[in-house]
Amino acid sequence: MNSGMNIGVWVALLACALGTFLLRALPLVWMQRHLVQRKAKNTLESMPTWLSVLGPLMIAAMFGVSLVPGEAGLASWLATALGAMVTLLVWRWTRSLGWPVFVGVASYGVVIILANAIV
Amino acid sequence: MSQQVATSNYHSLLLGARESIPLLGGYIPVAISFGLIALQSGFSSWEAVAISTLVYAGASQFLFVAMIASGAPLWFVVVMTLLINARHVVYGPNLAPWLSTSRLWPWLMHGLTDQIFALAHTRLPQLPSADRLGWFIGAMLVAWFSWIGGTAVGAIAGKELTQQWPLLGDVMPFALPALFLVLLAPRFTSWLWSLALGCTAVVALLFTLMGMTNAAIPVAAVAGAVVFFGMGALR
Repeated sequence: MNSGMNIGVWVALLACALGTFLLRALPLVWMQRHLVQRKAKNTLESMPTWLSVLGPLMIAAMFGVSLVPGEAGLASWLATALGAMVTLLVWRWTRSLGWPVFVGVASYGVVIILANAIV
Repeated sequence: MSQQVATSNYHSLLLGARESIPLLGGYIPVAISFGLIALQSGFSSWEAVAISTLVYAGASQFLFVAMIASGAPLWFVVVMTLLINARHVVYGPNLAPWLSTSRLWPWLMHGLTDQIFALAHTRLPQLPSADRLGWFIGAMLVAWFSWIGGTAVGAIAGKELTQQWPLLGDVMPFALPALFLVLLAPRFTSWLWSLALGCTAVVALLFTLMGMTNAAIPVAAVAGAVVFFGMGALR
């Protein structure tokens, strides 16, 4: 590999890129056509229920995956728990996107720094 | 009139760009580590950047680089990469009800990552329909460029960066769970949704702890759906 990617690897890369794009774009095109055909008054009703349920569940799954710290330990789990609580509290207070994330990351960082200073 | 439309597009583009900033805390550190790992696996900086630009899907890029470096058959590399990215098929249809008929939309789906989907799924329904295209372009471009830029930084100076600021790589990725939490919080609208979302998150967490990160998202989502429909049927 030190001589760089050969033509075969480039073809594999382009296949992965094209395949990933199609996985993202084709289902949308399909659903847009489906919605146009139905010409439904209420758009949500014309989407299969299982599909509309799966959307929020995918976000919950990403949340669960991302909760696991890169380097698991008491400090990082403690920081995760506190960071999540602070994020939620600031969200309840501001109902915004940016501030809860910013303050949550800051409190996560404070716990990690404190733990590093103690140990 | 056309000036008004242009101003509105500009504002919605900026709004999308601004609202995707929380994503950067998660994207940039991961992109830096991807650049670093790609370089260590024998790829050049330009090749690492090309992978991030063209494939633009975190977990599968790490797998791609690792499998190529280990000398796996190329067809197998492609199959595994696409298998990991197969979860994306659910995202587009879930956004479809809020998208206009613009021919740009399918092309913009290149930027439909997990995080952009989560953000768009919450924000698009809240925005006036005229602002949605601009918002999505702004949000996806900021996220995409941060991923490409982070990869370049990682490939060029990743080692020095992680040695100089080791804490940054530990702390900044918390932006992702924090963002997902903010996107999820308004969805706990009934006990049924709370139960399904809670179960999904716990199953995903457990699978990740067991080292099955790639299977975690689809398996957890299906488990949550079973809870949702199972409990719904019992009512």
